[in-house]
Amino acid sequence: MARVDVLMPQMGESIAEGTLSKWLKKVGDSVKRDEPLFEISTDKVDAEIPAPAAGTLAEIKVQEGQTVPVQTLVAVLETDASAAASKPAPAPAPAAAAPKPEPSKAEPPPPKPTPQPRAQAPSPQPPAPAPAPAMKTADGDGGGVQTAEQRLRTKSTPLVRKIAAEHSVDITRIPGSGYAGRVTKQDILGYIERAPAAPTPGPRPQAPGPGAAIDHPTVEPWPGDRVEPWSKIRKITADHMVMSRRVSAHVASFFEVDFTRIAQLRAKAKQTYAERGVNLTFLAFIVKACAENLRKHPIVNAAVSGDSTIYRAEVNIGIAVALDWGLIVPVIKHADELALMGIARAINDLGERARTKKLSPDDIQRGTFTITNPGGFGPFAGIPIINQPQVAILGVGAIEKRPKVLTADDGAESIAIRTMGMLTMSYDHRVVDGADADRFLADVKNLLQEFPEGAV
Amino acid sequence: MDSRAARLTPASVPSSIAAPSPATRPGGASPAVAPLSRDQLREIYYYLRLTRTLEERLVALYRQTKVIGGLFRSLGQEGESVASAYALERGHNKDILSPLIRNLGSMLVMGAQPIEILRQYMAKAESPTRGRELNVHFNDLEKGYLGQISHLGDMIPVMAGIALTFKLRREPRVGLVYIGDGGTSTGTFHEGLNFAAVQRLPLVVIGEYNHWAYSTPPEKQFAVKDLAEKAKGYGVPAVTVDGNDVFAVYEATRSAVDRARRGKGVQFVEVKTYRRKGHAEHDDQHYVPKDVLERWSRENDPIDRYAQRLRSGDLVGDADLKEIDERVRVEVDQATDACMNEPLPAAETALPGVYVNPPAADRLWFKAL
Amino acid sequence: MATREVTFLEALRQGLWEEMERDERVFILGEDVGLYGGAFKVTEGFSKRFGESRVIDTPIAEAAIVGAAAGAAHMGLRPVAEMQFIDFISCAYDMLTNYVATARYRAGLSTPLVVRGPCGGYVRGGPFHSQNPEAAFLHTPGLKIVYPATARDAKGLIKASIRDEDPVLYLEHKWLYRRIKEQLPEGEEILTPIGQARLAREGKDLSIITYGATLWKSLEAADQLAQDGVSVEVLDLRTLLPMDDAAIVNTVKKTNKVLIVHEDTRTGGIAGEITARINEQAFEWLDGPIMRVTAHDVPIPYAPTLEDFVLPQTDDIVKAARWLAKY
Repeated sequence: MARVDVLMPQMGESIAEGTLSKWLKKVGDSVKRDEPLFEISTDKVDAEIPAPAAGTLAEIKVQEGQTVPVQTLVAVLETDASAAASKPAPAPAPAAAAPKPEPSKAEPPPPKPTPQPRAQAPSPQPPAPAPAPAMKTADGDGGGVQTAEQRLRTKSTPLVRKIAAEHSVDITRIPGSGYAGRVTKQDILGYIERAPAAPTPGPRPQAPGPGAAIDHPTVEPWPGDRVEPWSKIRKITADHMVMSRRVSAHVASFFEVDFTRIAQLRAKAKQTYAERGVNLTFLAFIVKACAENLRKHPIVNAAVSGDSTIYRAEVNIGIAVALDWGLIVPVIKHADELALMGIARAINDLGERARTKKLSPDDIQRGTFTITNPGGFGPFAGIPIINQPQVAILGVGAIEKRPKVLTADDGAESIAIRTMGMLTMSYDHRVVDGADADRFLADVKNLLQEFPEGAV
Repeated sequence: MDSRAARLTPASVPSSIAAPSPATRPGGASPAVAPLSRDQLREIYYYLRLTRTLEERLVALYRQTKVIGGLFRSLGQEGESVASAYALERGHNKDILSPLIRNLGSMLVMGAQPIEILRQYMAKAESPTRGRELNVHFNDLEKGYLGQISHLGDMIPVMAGIALTFKLRREPRVGLVYIGDGGTSTGTFHEGLNFAAVQRLPLVVIGEYNHWAYSTPPEKQFAVKDLAEKAKGYGVPAVTVDGNDVFAVYEATRSAVDRARRGKGVQFVEVKTYRRKGHAEHDDQHYVPKDVLERWSRENDPIDRYAQRLRSGDLVGDADLKEIDERVRVEVDQATDACMNEPLPAAETALPGVYVNPPAADRLWFKAL
Repeated sequence: MATREVTFLEALRQGLWEEMERDERVFILGEDVGLYGGAFKVTEGFSKRFGESRVIDTPIAEAAIVGAAAGAAHMGLRPVAEMQFIDFISCAYDMLTNYVATARYRAGLSTPLVVRGPCGGYVRGGPFHSQNPEAAFLHTPGLKIVYPATARDAKGLIKASIRDEDPVLYLEHKWLYRRIKEQLPEGEEILTPIGQARLAREGKDLSIITYGATLWKSLEAADQLAQDGVSVEVLDLRTLLPMDDAAIVNTVKKTNKVLIVHEDTRTGGIAGEITARINEQAFEWLDGPIMRVTAHDVPIPYAPTLEDFVLPQTDDIVKAARWLAKY
């Protein structure tokens, strides 16, 4: 004896259900193959439904008057067990149910930490699956040949790059939990929340220990006080300042520079520069002078790593910019290869982009020396904090007219009105000795005071 | 529902359904058609009976959810389908016909097997189209049939193309294509017929005037009385015959085929018949008066008329006919049992064969997840 | 406000009926639409109510149907031309694209017609009763294309399409006809603005942009994904041309990950167009590649096992979304 299911048929493509209008047989009746078994009625048509096999009507599942979806089991026949007419062919997959959530089917393969969307055909497919997300070193985008996964780990996605730029975060320093080990939106936002140390470039996140956030001591507010929780950028800055002073042996040298010649050269060239869309500032000259001399005094263009000194191959000068929401240091790459015009233009550009939040992570990475210039309303002199992991930072005091003693060629001395400004360099006395610093600054001062007109 | 009570205007009720309308022939002598032998008469009866029984089985299977998609019967039209096809030269690489949905009989005559039809309807993996196309939309160009696509009229230019190759290669072969009264309204009917006519191709067009295009009667389909009149507009000679008279259809088609084979260009044979079921199984034809259907069934069933002619003309005996009935029943049962439990095609077999090169369509990325 | 449960098809029928009653210039033409009430019964009862002159049974002649509708529209009528199956619109391709779509631009001719017809698969209809032709017409300036997924929009969009001054291609999914049932308010004018997408489900981790039958599969998928802790937002485009760029951009900005789902084939399907627009307008907000779940690039096969594989299913959407969420 074999069981044969009788289903509600689909009489028309769009028909989803049928009403069993009349049973023509009762339970226990015997039926011949193709003999009418019951009647149905649908939106389109009424019909007699014939028995799929010869046998006995064993069970009735749907009663007269009941409306059920197509493919619903309506009755069961018991047939004589002949191989031919026994079980029905596998019914077509029920397509007709009204859309209701299907119970979630367990997928055979266990969920992988990284997805594996590989297809065989040679057609555009998502990137090949990577093994467990391995954290690569940050120099991934040097050199010509880079895999998709490498790009993904260093550059991630447009959204993550945007967030990284806004918060001056180096993507390559963040562990990624996403596809191919990339940094996801959640990863970077989480990282920023936890706010580790400043956005410094460089290989592994190690000592000077930006890994751990710094706990600043708490203080009780008094009634009437306003407590303002730090923004992410404030936190990053605060931590960095404390850390830098702890790590480096800060010493400062002061050199007063006569900017009169620079002022004259600038006044003469300003218009020409402006016609080319560049605003020529004192800072440009200072950067140029430093750039020229950092090559000659490599110890000032260095970094400390454990018990070693790293002499940087490039001269990348960072310019500290004070924004409403905090400090940021965009970097002029290869400043020693740029002419004054190029430096001035770079300063304009970086400053503009810093103010409009259009800096990319690349713009704020890999500086080798920093200059901080408070500008017209700045102090006579300041003592800046070194921008880790560099070993020196140059502060520019207010440039203004002051009386100065001049010695003429014949030795006669007089007092003149000169445009003067104090340069203060804080440096790391672990590796930069006083003599090193002073020699460097002396050369910078001389270059500024005797700036060649041809170099403007 | 209100619409079920809708009735036709009197004009659309066919007037002469009891008496077969006289065949009309174009002027001029034409060679007489050789009479059919007893074996041939029996063979025709076999195909008629096979067509009907096979379709009845398909209806049962449809109502048992074994047949998927639509089912379109040719009840009442088996005579013209079988008789017209029978007029062709059958065999390997001989004449070729293109059937419509109600020309199952013509396909069986050309050698399509019941099991192939059943497999097609049940979407079996072993069906001629490997489950890709429905019902009788399949072909065997060597046996001589080319299944249609749903866009009516399209097969006319296609068969014209086939007939064109016969002409170009100087082969004594003929193409035959069916078109319904509704199909003659389409653009491709016009273009195909005109093309074939002006090229003088060896093509016979069977215009099946079965009174219904779904629910649309002829007076809403065209402004002529007979399809044969349309043919004239293309410069194509046409005859109109009683489509339920097997002998008349056979003779007229045979004449047409012979003329086409002798290089006389396109020939049009209009067969007047009646579609006795709805457009498809899901259409209950409420728009046709029941008494009209009953009269066609009772008085003008092509198989009954044919059997009656055979008996009364002492051409084939009753015992022979009953034996054929039984043989057909067994054949249909066996074919059904043989394939009913066959599997449906495996999912991935959907991808190959879109092109020769590349051999398969891409399997989309999410299927591998 | 009283509501009544109606199917997608009934809602479409109501919309057509209401517009026929409201505006005597509206008329219907197509095969078997009058006496028979339409192959799917969409226009059942219309001939009796509005008369044969407003519900015209045509010969089998799609090009003539569309062409005649164009002429009537020029003269101020509001024809609604039915393609019995949208698969047959190919017979009218010349008329619709060369003549109708260009009429205003080249000749200042007003052609406010609607071409509508049942589209879509999942019904074992084979290659000629399962098509989704929207991509073939997307690059046809001058034509509008709408594709409702809900009963409410079936009604709202047919009414809006009839009232629109431009020619509209209205695609109604045959699988949805009787499977979608919604409570719709009675006695209230339901109009869906053309060109406006609808947020079918809010979420924050990933956006599915879709339309038609796959809206429902996407919602099913979203339910399943919610159990995994993935919050999926689903945007129902409703209008394909003109596309609602603002809605698309908004959802991208919100979740940063996009999965486009449609029943049409991958190659040439409109997911490509949507992807290009997102790239142009919301690149900076992407936290992953824009992916799509579509049909395979094959004609729609008849056998259930084949069709189920070829067309996008809920399970496909779930897997794709899960992959993208983890990206």
